[in-house]
Amino acid sequence: MKRKMAVVFLLVVSAMAGDPTGNLTGKWSGAFKVDGGDHEVPQLFILKQQGKTLTGTGGPNASEQYPIENGRVDGDHVTFELTTGEWKFTYDLRQSESRELTGELKLESVGDSRTAKVSLARVKGD
Amino acid sequence: MRRLVLKIHLVIALVAGMFMMILGATGSVIAFEPELDRLLHPGLSYFASTGKVRSLAEIGDAASRKYGGEPIVAFLLPASPHVTTEVIMPRGIVAVNQYTGEILGVRTRGQTFLGFARALHVRLATGDVGRNIVRWSAVAMLFSLVSGLYLWWPLKRVRIRGPWWSRGFWFDLHNAVGILCLLPLLVLAGTGTVIGFEDQVASLLDKPAGSVSIHTAPTLTRPEPEPGAIQITPDQAVAVAAAQVPGAVAYRVQMPRYGGVYVVALAFPDNRITGDRNSVSINPWNGKIIATTRSTELSTGERFVATNEAIHTGTILGIPGRIIAALVSILLPVQALSGLIMWLRRTRIARPE
Repeated sequence: MKRKMAVVFLLVVSAMAGDPTGNLTGKWSGAFKVDGGDHEVPQLFILKQQGKTLTGTGGPNASEQYPIENGRVDGDHVTFELTTGEWKFTYDLRQSESRELTGELKLESVGDSRTAKVSLARVKGD
Repeated sequence: MRRLVLKIHLVIALVAGMFMMILGATGSVIAFEPELDRLLHPGLSYFASTGKVRSLAEIGDAASRKYGGEPIVAFLLPASPHVTTEVIMPRGIVAVNQYTGEILGVRTRGQTFLGFARALHVRLATGDVGRNIVRWSAVAMLFSLVSGLYLWWPLKRVRIRGPWWSRGFWFDLHNAVGILCLLPLLVLAGTGTVIGFEDQVASLLDKPAGSVSIHTAPTLTRPEPEPGAIQITPDQAVAVAAAQVPGAVAYRVQMPRYGGVYVVALAFPDNRITGDRNSVSINPWNGKIIATTRSTELSTGERFVATNEAIHTGTILGIPGRIIAALVSILLPVQALSGLIMWLRRTRIARPE
């Protein structure tokens, strides 16, 4: 019996370790660089996940934060939007095995549209 | 020597000529981008002004009510009484008649013809590769102009003779346009080259001067409300900012929901170079100023980059400067095309011989 329980416990633990769809609540930081742009833009997100709904704020640093809109988590697929002014940022990310959020970012203003690669990692100690 | 210079001139033209044509054609379009954009959307841009201008709070309420209570991100204030106030919302940019509060329509985000022209001009509408091709095309254009002057010098041809189908016509046209527009073309190519490498140029200028770039300015502390505190209105924020930068006119107001503070951008209408680089950050809960950025406090590098851009776009001279920039830009495809026709006819004649 003890052996069976140990096997079940190990299976559950290993399944959890390999599952890239952990709760996203917490601080995430990273950067993006627009294709054809000169600068890397820092990113800091304070995310709150409740079921499939993602809320919170994001921006270049802790003091300049914009509300997350239309946030959704579907398995390892994470999508949300951020409006900072003339520009709307649409994130289309995947949660990787290493628990990072990586993917595409689409930046759109009236008249212009750009793309960028973005990578976020959970802030250490969070 | 002349043969070598001609060879260099030809090689540069054959390699970068197509890109120079694109830069010229798109440059002539985007020289008047704001005006063309308004012309393409007249219903969302112009109206006859009557009566008293409504407050930003009223304009914002009208826009928000129209779109199901959607929050306001920012206001773009008109420079002329006949142009609409624009309200930035997550769904797009809403045009509002500031005298009646009437919603004239909304423009959604995404690339337009003018945006595509700009993207072509700046990065060939692609990414890093396009950006690098554009910056080196500007360098190639500089070499092409200098070598062209060297080749023109012995003949000093300015008049255009012969019918348009003759080789002489294209030779004369290439010479005449090249020499008559040499100076403005050199200015466009020189300033374009600097824009291509502006980060490197700005950092070179800022290092010895010890100036601090606004990009490295310390971040602000996000203000938190006292219990029971009520936010000041965007109109009050504009009044606070205008008092902080006397003589400047507010042209943009960012709402505190987006970024944590009111940020009011102001411009000195007479300063065409850096006059619009003033901003005041205001605590929305008590109206106190948190930070002020003044155009007079820009670093040497930033000032140089802004001046260079104003020369490149012609804005340094106002409307006449922009007209010159547009006309000279459109001559770039003429030069590239006339040069290509000369070269094609030259090889066609050479082959039978």
